[in-house]
Amino acid sequence: MRILLAEDDPLLGDGLRAGLRQLDFQVDWVRDGEAAERELLTQTYAAAVLDLGLPRKGGMEVLAAIRRAGNTMPVLVLTARDAVPDRIRGLDGGADDYVVKPVDLHELAARLRALIRRSHGQPEECLTAQDLVLDPAARSVRKAGEPVALSSREFDLLQVFMLNADRVLSREQLEQHLYSWGQEVESNAVEVHIHNLRKKLGTLLIQTVRGVGYMLLRAAPKS
Amino acid sequence: MSKNLPSLQRQLLVLVLGLVISVWLATAALTWVDVRQELDELLDSHLAQAAALLLVQRAHDIDEDDHGVDAPILHRYVPKVMFQVFHEGRLMLRSANAPEKAMINPGLQFKKGFTTVQIGGEAWRVFATFGHEADIQVYVAEQTSARSSILWAILRSTMWPMLIALPLLALAAWWAVQRGVAPIRRLGRAVADRQTEALHPVAIEGITSEMLPLVEALNSLFSRIGNLLESERRFTADAAHELRTPIAAIRAQAQVALGEADDDLRRQALRNTLEGCDRATRLVEQLMTLSRLEAHAEPALAAVDLTALARQTVGELALKALGKEQSLEFDAADAVAIPGNETLLAVLVRNLVDNAVRYSPPSVRVRVRVEQQAGRAVLTIEDGGPGLDEAERIKLGERFFRMPGSAESGSGLGWSIVRRIAAVHHLELQAERSTELGGLAVRVSGRIHCGNE
Repeated sequence: MRILLAEDDPLLGDGLRAGLRQLDFQVDWVRDGEAAERELLTQTYAAAVLDLGLPRKGGMEVLAAIRRAGNTMPVLVLTARDAVPDRIRGLDGGADDYVVKPVDLHELAARLRALIRRSHGQPEECLTAQDLVLDPAARSVRKAGEPVALSSREFDLLQVFMLNADRVLSREQLEQHLYSWGQEVESNAVEVHIHNLRKKLGTLLIQTVRGVGYMLLRAAPKS
Repeated sequence: MSKNLPSLQRQLLVLVLGLVISVWLATAALTWVDVRQELDELLDSHLAQAAALLLVQRAHDIDEDDHGVDAPILHRYVPKVMFQVFHEGRLMLRSANAPEKAMINPGLQFKKGFTTVQIGGEAWRVFATFGHEADIQVYVAEQTSARSSILWAILRSTMWPMLIALPLLALAAWWAVQRGVAPIRRLGRAVADRQTEALHPVAIEGITSEMLPLVEALNSLFSRIGNLLESERRFTADAAHELRTPIAAIRAQAQVALGEADDDLRRQALRNTLEGCDRATRLVEQLMTLSRLEAHAEPALAAVDLTALARQTVGELALKALGKEQSLEFDAADAVAIPGNETLLAVLVRNLVDNAVRYSPPSVRVRVRVEQQAGRAVLTIEDGGPGLDEAERIKLGERFFRMPGSAESGSGLGWSIVRRIAAVHHLELQAERSTELGGLAVRVSGRIHCGNE
């Protein structure tokens, strides 16, 4: 899952980025409010971790700006401001979760997963489609009850498809979901991963919509 | 304890009543002396007048056979007066209560004028005189006790209203004093009944002008304690708040190190953890400095050589600047002394130079200069960094304001400390754009230390 981390403190930002990467998130890190707003409005992220005390533009202003622009992506506010009025202001101001520093990395990751799940209308812990069950926390996939071994990228790609089941995703969208900045994306990387997924999980799972992109069907097609 | 302390109320009462009684006694004494003198004059003149009458009368009709005649007692007061008339040594006429011998010095030399003698166990005031040929001698006498009773009567009549007035006066004085000290009692109760946290000023209404200094001193004390408490409270809140970020960083880095399989990456995370600890330590130190600065108003001032101080600071930070490939320059001609506290001024200079090095990008110039301008000592710290725009310069010194976009970690407390130290030293602090280097120029100026301070 690709997330945006907006944190001005170098040491904390570095730690969060490294920690979330260990937990299989793709992390883009910005250090001020203006950059955060620009990235959130132009790139595709599954969620954002937003510090409130950002230079140039405060976290609350960034939040207000992206919500005004119609962006409904889950935003987790991570801040040192622990007073109840601050929490209320944060949540009422458009935050989906409000976490006070310091935070356990595993808890932060779990909260992000929950936010991402819910933002796709999937309140259950595991994602399901057809005979597939995907557990984001355990990073495991079962097909008809049998575990399937997937590479990290393949898992991420499947998760994106399952979160957006029955929706057509373009190749660019998929790339944006999968890769953070600075990661080399080979021109046919997405096709290769889809090919592998089809090989492991069945050809009918992911449909190609010519000229538009790909789509995962929640229910098996009647053939 | 309060029993051993002198009571203002009792002191005032004793003073007022003592004064009234003293004045009263003095008045009585003066009246006594004055009335007595007047009375003596008046009655003596009556004696003399009576003697003159007797003399004149005897001079006209001296009857050789008529001697030893007793005058009748006509009034009940008459026994208190008596007279004798002698002609050529023989008693010619006397009052009924008068002795037969001459009242004064019987048988001795005759003496004219007033005398007081003892006759029949009583003190008598006697006036003696004689006719033209000295053949007739007249004595007129009056009991001195008569005079005393008149005197006492006069004194009694003037003094008894005072005697009645005295208890009333005491009562009035007690009431007045009671009323006078009531505001003090009220103030005491008002302060005693306060909650520990209630530090609002004591009301000025209802107090007397004598109490105003006390009430003002109390209010000023309350206000100072209030400020101190507020600063303590803010310190605690700020410290708790500001330590969250470094602690979060330490926690995140430690967790990364725990979960990292790659050796190099794990070491890096551990190094970052240590750096986070150092930063938290520095933050705590800065908070303590600031807290101490806010608690103590005026440091002891001595002559401090600003040039030496700045040179030393530049020396200490040279390595750090070199590490960023910055050129750190120091420019000063002579020693410039300003009145101040050396430790605090060192903190100020270090913070400013450290800020310039820390927040300027690599490879720029940072220049520290000490000079005298128009009789003032001026310390200027300039850098070739991006500088600050006007809005940002105004925000400088707000607690925890950080240079935007800075890659360096900092608490934003440095400037608060600098501002506070400048304030207690009455130093002027200006932040502007450096005309030569293009970045931020911070100017600290203050008066030069005079030799005789």
